[in-house]
Amino acid sequence: MLVARGTGVVLFEVFLNGLLLGGMYGLIALGLNIQYGVARILNLAYGEFFVAGAFTAFFTIMLWQYNPLLSLFISMPIAFAANWLIYQVLMIPLIKRAPDQDALDADVVLVTFGLFFVLQGLALVYWSGDLRGYTFMSSPVHILGATIAMNRLLAFLGACLIAAIIFYVLRFTRIGAALRAITIDPVAASLMGIDVRRYSALAFATGGALAAASGMLVSTFISFSATTGVVYTLKALIVVIMAGVGRVTGTLAAGLLLGVVESLGGYLIDPALTIAINFALFMLILLLRPTGLFTRA
Amino acid sequence: MDRRTLLKGGVAAAGLAALPSVPAQAQSAPDKLRFGYAITMSGPLGPGAESTVVSQYKLWHKRVNDAGGITLKKFNKKVPVDMVSYDDQGKPDELIKLTERLIQQDKVDILLSPYATHMNLASAPIANKYQYPVIYSTATTTKSYDLAKKFPFAFWQIVQPVEATQPLTEYLADLKKEGKIKGTVGIVHPTVEYGVEMHEAFVNNAKKAGLNVVVSKSYPFGAADLQPVVREVMAANPDAFVCMSYPPDTFMLTEQSKIVGFNPQFMYVAIGGVFPSYRGKFGNDVNGILAYGGQDTSVKGYAEYDKAHRAMHNRPSEAGALSAYSAVEVVQQAIERVGEVDRTKIRDEIGKGKFQTIWGELHYTDQRCANPWAVGQWQGGEMVGVFPKDKSGAKPVQFPKPKWS
Repeated sequence: MLVARGTGVVLFEVFLNGLLLGGMYGLIALGLNIQYGVARILNLAYGEFFVAGAFTAFFTIMLWQYNPLLSLFISMPIAFAANWLIYQVLMIPLIKRAPDQDALDADVVLVTFGLFFVLQGLALVYWSGDLRGYTFMSSPVHILGATIAMNRLLAFLGACLIAAIIFYVLRFTRIGAALRAITIDPVAASLMGIDVRRYSALAFATGGALAAASGMLVSTFISFSATTGVVYTLKALIVVIMAGVGRVTGTLAAGLLLGVVESLGGYLIDPALTIAINFALFMLILLLRPTGLFTRA
Repeated sequence: MDRRTLLKGGVAAAGLAALPSVPAQAQSAPDKLRFGYAITMSGPLGPGAESTVVSQYKLWHKRVNDAGGITLKKFNKKVPVDMVSYDDQGKPDELIKLTERLIQQDKVDILLSPYATHMNLASAPIANKYQYPVIYSTATTTKSYDLAKKFPFAFWQIVQPVEATQPLTEYLADLKKEGKIKGTVGIVHPTVEYGVEMHEAFVNNAKKAGLNVVVSKSYPFGAADLQPVVREVMAANPDAFVCMSYPPDTFMLTEQSKIVGFNPQFMYVAIGGVFPSYRGKFGNDVNGILAYGGQDTSVKGYAEYDKAHRAMHNRPSEAGALSAYSAVEVVQQAIERVGEVDRTKIRDEIGKGKFQTIWGELHYTDQRCANPWAVGQWQGGEMVGVFPKDKSGAKPVQFPKPKWS
C-alpha cells in the first residue's frame, strides 16, 4: 500500500537526486578541466575515453562476469597511456609551431575534432552502434525517508573521492605546485625550471584516465553506445566553463549546482524544462561571471 | 513500289521477326542492382537505428547475395545486390541532401528508408518526387493517414499511433469492466515527435474507452535523471504506467521504477522495450512488460533468419527490427514479381500484393501495412506479439505484471 509522502520528504528526495546528478556532471567534467586548465588543450575527443571506460565496464561484467569496478584497472592505465601518446605525438607539434595560445586553441580544436571522428568510427566498427546497459548496484538506498539509487550514489562518492585526491595533489605536493604554476603562467613556470611539457603531458594523460573512470561509474546507471561520447564532452565543457578553466575542485561544485538547480527546477516548474533550466543557469553565469564561478578576479 | 522502299520494308520485317528470339538485346539485363540508404549512424538516435534498421539491411544484403541475388524474370537472370549507405548524423537537412545524392549521383535502383519518424517524414517528399517506392519501416505518425494521396510512392510499415494505442486502452477498459482495476493511467513521454503523437493518440483513445488519465508528464529527450518523473506518476498510484519512450529513457524509466519500488499492475514502454539488450539488462524483471511492436517467431523462415542474425551480429534479433527486414523482403518480392526495375510497376505490386515475410504475411491498404504487430509482451523471457488479438500467432496478455525482483 502506498503511503502518502510529505512535501518535505519529496523535496528532500528531489534535492538528493539533484546532488547525485550534479556529482555525475562534476565527475565527467573533472578530467576535461585538468586537460584544458593545466595542459591547455581543449580535447573534443574527451568523451570517446568516457565511452571506452563504459565499454570496458560493460564487457567486464557481461562478457567476463567480473565486478565492473575492476575494469578501472584496465581502462584507466590504457586511457592514461593513450592520452599521453596523443599529447606527445599530436599536440607537441602544434604547440611548437603555434605563435600564441589563440592560434594553438584553433589548431587543437580542429585536430581533436578529427580525432573524435576517428575514435568514434573505430568504436562503431568494433563495438557496433547498439545501445548497451547492464545492472550493477541497482538497489535503493533510504535516507530519512528519501530513496536514491546505490549506483548513482557510488558515482557521486567517486566524484568526491577523485576531487579530494586532485585537491590534495595540487595543494600539498611538489607535482601539484608545478601544475598550479603552469596553470597560472606556463611561460613563467618554465623560467622557474619547471619542465612544462612533461607536466602538461602528465596532466593531459591524467585527464584521459579520469574520463575513462567517469565512463565506468556513469555506465552503471545510464545506457550508452559507441556514439554517446560527444554528449558527455559537451556536458563536461559546460561545467568546465561554469566553474572556470583550471579550477579543478570548483568543477565539482559547479556540477553540483547545475544538478540541484536542474532537479529542483524540474520538480517545481516542469520536468520538460530541465534542459532549458540548465542552459538558463549557464547563460546567467556567462553574463555575470564570464570567466567562471570560481576564478579569482 | 520502288526498290528502296522494298528494301526498308524487308529490313524492318527481318528485324521484327528477329526480335522475340533475342529479347535481351533490346534491353540488356543489369549486372547488379544498386540499393541505397542514408541513416543515422552517430548521435543519440544512432543506437536505435543500428539495432532496428542498419543491422537488418546488412543482414538482408548478405543473405540475398549468398542466394545469388534477386531474380529478374524478364531477363531470366539472378542479379547480385550492391549496397550504398551514408550517415545523416541525425540531421534532417543532411538526410535530404544524401537522399538526393543517392538518387542523382549514385543512381540507386532502390531506395531504403531511414530511421525515426521525423527523419522518414523528411526524406519521403524527395523519394516521392523522383518516384522511388519506399516502405518506411520506422515511422509512426497520425499524418500517415493523409500522406497516401500526397506521396503515392510511400508505404508505411509499422503500426500508427491510433492503432498502436487502441488495443491498450481497450484492454484496460475490459479490465475495468471486469472490476480488476479502477481504470487509472499515468503516462509520460519525451518531447520528440514520436512521443508527442503516441501520447496524444493514447490520451484520446483512453477518453473514449472511459479510462482516467490521472497524471501526465513530459521530459526532454536525453534527460539524465527521470526519478522525479517516476515519483510523480507513483504518487498518483495509477493502475497502468504508460511510457511513450525512446531507447535511452525506456531503460532509465524501467530502472528507476524498480529503484523507487513503483510496481504498477500494467506497464507499457514504447521504443526499445523489445531490444534484446533490454532483457539483457533487466533479466526476468522484463516479464509482463508490454512494448511497442511484436512478433511471432513461429512463422516460416524466422528460424533461418534468426540463425543468420546471430551469426552476423552476435546477438538475437529484436521485434522492432523485423519491420525493417520484412520491408526489404517485400521490396525484393515485388521486384521479382515485376521481373525488372520498373519503379512504378514495383509500387503497384507493393500496393496490391500479399507478401510472406519473417514478420508474417503482409499486405497494404491505402499504402499502410494492413496488419502489422501493434503490441508485444515479455512472457517467460521471450518477446511475443499480443495485439492485434486476431493476428495469427498472437498470445493472450499476461496480467498483472509481476512485482520487481
